[in-house]
Amino acid sequence: MNAFIAFIMGPMVWIAFLIFILGLIFKLVVIIKDVNARESYVYSYLSVKYSLRSIFAWLIPFFPQSTRQSPVFYAISYIFHLLLFIVPVFLMSHIVLVNEAFQLSWFALDDTLADILTVIVVLALVFFAVRRQTVPEVKYLTSFNDYVLLIIVALPFITGFLAYHQFFFYRQMVIAHVISGELVLILIPFSKFSHMVMAPLTRAYMGSEFGNVRHAKDW
Amino acid sequence: MTRTLVFMGFILFLFTAVVAFSNTEPGTDELERLDTSAFEKPQRPGAVFGHDDHNEMAGIEDCDVCHHVYDGKNRVEGESSEDSPCSECHSLKANPENLISLSVAYHKRCRNCHFETNKGPVLCGECHIK
Amino acid sequence: MPKETTTEDVPIVKQKNTDEAVEAGLARLTPERIKTTINQVLENETGPKFKAYVETCMHCGLCAEACLYFLSNDRDPSYSPAGKVKQTIWEMLEKKGDVSTDFLRRAVHIAHTECNVCKRCSMYCPFGIDIAYLMLMVRRICHKLEITPLYIQDTVNSHSATMNQMWVKEDEWIDTLQWQEEDAREEFENLRIPLDKVGADIMYSVIAPEPKFQAGLIYQAATIMHAAGIDWTMPSSPGWDNSNMAMFTGDNEISGRIARAFYETAARLKVKRIVMGECGHAFRSIYDVGNRWVGWAMPPFEVVHAIEFYHQLLTSGRITIADKYKKTVTLHDPCNVSRGRGLHDMAREVTNMVCDSFIEMTPNREHNYCCGAGGGVINCGPPYKGERMINNRVKAEQLKATGAEVLIAPCHNCHSGLEDIVHHYDLNMEVKFLGDIIFETMEKKIFNPGD
Repeated sequence: MNAFIAFIMGPMVWIAFLIFILGLIFKLVVIIKDVNARESYVYSYLSVKYSLRSIFAWLIPFFPQSTRQSPVFYAISYIFHLLLFIVPVFLMSHIVLVNEAFQLSWFALDDTLADILTVIVVLALVFFAVRRQTVPEVKYLTSFNDYVLLIIVALPFITGFLAYHQFFFYRQMVIAHVISGELVLILIPFSKFSHMVMAPLTRAYMGSEFGNVRHAKDW
Repeated sequence: MTRTLVFMGFILFLFTAVVAFSNTEPGTDELERLDTSAFEKPQRPGAVFGHDDHNEMAGIEDCDVCHHVYDGKNRVEGESSEDSPCSECHSLKANPENLISLSVAYHKRCRNCHFETNKGPVLCGECHIK
Repeated sequence: MPKETTTEDVPIVKQKNTDEAVEAGLARLTPERIKTTINQVLENETGPKFKAYVETCMHCGLCAEACLYFLSNDRDPSYSPAGKVKQTIWEMLEKKGDVSTDFLRRAVHIAHTECNVCKRCSMYCPFGIDIAYLMLMVRRICHKLEITPLYIQDTVNSHSATMNQMWVKEDEWIDTLQWQEEDAREEFENLRIPLDKVGADIMYSVIAPEPKFQAGLIYQAATIMHAAGIDWTMPSSPGWDNSNMAMFTGDNEISGRIARAFYETAARLKVKRIVMGECGHAFRSIYDVGNRWVGWAMPPFEVVHAIEFYHQLLTSGRITIADKYKKTVTLHDPCNVSRGRGLHDMAREVTNMVCDSFIEMTPNREHNYCCGAGGGVINCGPPYKGERMINNRVKAEQLKATGAEVLIAPCHNCHSGLEDIVHHYDLNMEVKFLGDIIFETMEKKIFNPGD
């Protein structure tokens, strides 16, 4: 059993991160090649200045009109996306592991705080699921896959929470936690999670068209 | 679709239940634990460790397997350090004189051996039992 | 039983109006032709941009809030922007083009009459997904399947045969200009509408409905040009019409021909810039879209919309306002010149320079609600007018809330659509162009060369 744990916490972590990073790079390369071959006009309009203008405008909480029209959803969504990075990256247990492997360390969240933030992430996911059920225009667009995505993201957080508290099946819970975390990383380039890099690209293009050609704001 | 709603509700219930009962777990106080007084603000309880039981089970007779002595970079053969606390050499944070911090020293000492022998606890909560 | 209903999860609940061209077109289709055409367009005419838009959408539904159709139909999800994509593109992709004629009847209805391609939704999508582009892709498919609605297809046919939208013959065009010149000379004794004046500063261009049934607008424009002492000309040959309905039916080949004829006319006359009347879609056609079809990133000429031109004339003092307009006015921002060119602030300045009391409508500027007519929707004609009025309810409420007596709409499509709304909802408002008010309020100077 220890050998299996050594594998999922050792080589498998490397594999997951490599697939995650190389997968995204591969995706970007395919897009750039595709753009060069079929839609090279995109470069005539793409501008760094207006791309960044649009992306930053949309990063400021409650700056775009859209965010002010659906404040609850956006607030929860902002917090959720921030915590999605903050909790795993600044979790003490994770930093301890990185520290042991690479002698690197950085600021760590207090365990109790991280615990609360984890619950918030899961509650946000529950909110998204309920919203998919109850808001007609969202329900209309929702397919089974959208729930699968929510569950996949929820898994590492739920298992991490249960493992931290050592309620039951501790060993199995940690194993499930590690594997589900790696699953999320591996899936990012090949699923809708890729909006992590695609959204800035589509935003950049729309921002460039609005800035360069339309001379108007797009937020 | 209602099933998903029920499922989500169940998870929510699980969370609340689990949080509500989390402080009432009995029976861990009597366990023999490692002394954590050298740490400033320990986030986890000290690792559960029964010295004699462990060594008997693991068949360890030489003290310097764990209580080693290092001279600069090299281990000093035949000498052991069971009379001084680990924190005497392993400072809280790694520094040029001692590259291995106290917590890393503990973790690696126990876990590496458990991985090598494929026996014993290797996950955080298996030693830092609540 | 053959797989007839395409739509387990997208029930075709609404059997909406269509017209004879759509029905006749659908009757001609075979499953093979549908499949080949759809796949040919999706595979050969789309690229990474299309793919990114379809793949990146997280189905969050935030675009719904942007759409006039969604809001006017009591938040019916099938009218939300992404909802329209679901009922068209998503299913075409999922079924790999294997869709029924019932599906296509619904698709052509959605793409042609339930979306103005105004791009407001792109400003509400956090990812900036261009849903209007996806709807235009549906129209492109409909065009290739020859199921484009009758009335708008007729305008494209006219473009193809005459290079103008309204079957205006060459002699009728020249005759109309001379008639307007003659009338105007009673007011301004030496006014000219100079035809084919090579090397003039400005080529003035209009859309075909102006000579066809709104010739007075050409009269007004001529008097403004005259009073301001502008060195201008209008072309006598085909290529004078700056409108482009093919742009809205997905007939990209004809769209490119129209744009090319237009730019070539301006090139032949060696003008410094093109000034155009108060039309939004025509502006989009020669400023943003047509140039791309003929291989220019930006238009080969400086293209100036009437709003900007009036602004220049007023701020430089070339025309002066004798007596400001007294009635209360409000301003509708057309998508193609506000969201499409950022002229909304200039439009307000012009309005304030010529009117006494300006009332803002909300939302406004880039965020203004669409008129409900543009993007080729009104051009689909009478079969769809009743629905259009229902789909424009929120626009009517927005107009009513201003309480203004006069509604300024510096765009032909908006103008016609808003007139329909005003009548249908009994809003008791006059719809006017900026040019109407400038003509009414300016000093009628008689320009003498050398002054």
